[in-house]
Amino acid sequence: MDFAASEPGATAVASALAIKILIAGGFGVGKTTMVGTISEIRPLHTEELLSERGVGVDDTSGVEAKITTTVALDFGRITFREGLWLYLFGTPGQDRFWFMWDELALGALGAVVLADTRRLEDSFPAVDYFEQRGIPFVVGVNCFEGARRYDPTKVRRALGLNESIPVVLCDVRERDSVKNVLTTLVTHAVEGA
Amino acid sequence: MTGEDPGPLIRLFGLTGGRARPQGEAFDLVAIVTTTGDVEPADLIPEHRAVLSLCRRPTPVADVAAHLKLPLNITRVILGDLRREGLISIERPRPVAQTIDERIYREVLDGLRSL
Repeated sequence: MDFAASEPGATAVASALAIKILIAGGFGVGKTTMVGTISEIRPLHTEELLSERGVGVDDTSGVEAKITTTVALDFGRITFREGLWLYLFGTPGQDRFWFMWDELALGALGAVVLADTRRLEDSFPAVDYFEQRGIPFVVGVNCFEGARRYDPTKVRRALGLNESIPVVLCDVRERDSVKNVLTTLVTHAVEGA
Repeated sequence: MTGEDPGPLIRLFGLTGGRARPQGEAFDLVAIVTTTGDVEPADLIPEHRAVLSLCRRPTPVADVAAHLKLPLNITRVILGDLRREGLISIERPRPVAQTIDERIYREVLDGLRSL
């Protein structure tokens, strides 16, 4: 990508920037663990209240349809300096919350799709989602204990990934490993675009 | 649902008037919120007062939620209300490509490596 022109003299306040990265993948693949491994704060777990859209909305009252469900959302933070943060959002696992993904993905720098070699098919929906929307992503193959170590090339083939998409082996419990995944993503998102 | 304590939900409804969506232009979960002006109306609820105090330093929406200990959706409704009152400004969505220059990119990479 072409870099945005730097504005000389812009103050730190004016350039306050929060970068957003999504952590996606199937249920139980290690999304929450990954956020927890690298976040400087205890990952915040919120139960988001959702209203059923478009059903029974009474515009005149200003009150939406009654809140019908909740979805769990985890996020963590890394502060590089005052005015420059990186936020990691774990995406809700259930398919029925796709609309929430749309909101999360808007303006995201990119995404990490975590994959478990024992259940690679669980990663397909996330891969499809980011491919279709042109959102840069990398695949992190979480090497669970007891899981067969896969050759990244085989994982790439199994997921039908383009050659340009980085595939990295990782252990989401290890800080250095998570750092490696994130630097790979940032580099891919900025230089690969 | 029977037998569950409805207390927290009712409190959240009270904060937002039952709304699940903020008013006005959409904003991102990591949009920067900044308190505008020095005058604080006297009749603000504690949550509004807390936002104005926190956002004297520009603060991302997600962090405001963390400080208030409230769900993101509820926090966004509160922020939408404060924006309508002209008490805060919320950064407009920008394409990622326009926000990251080479200096920021280097800072992020170096920052990650030195964690």
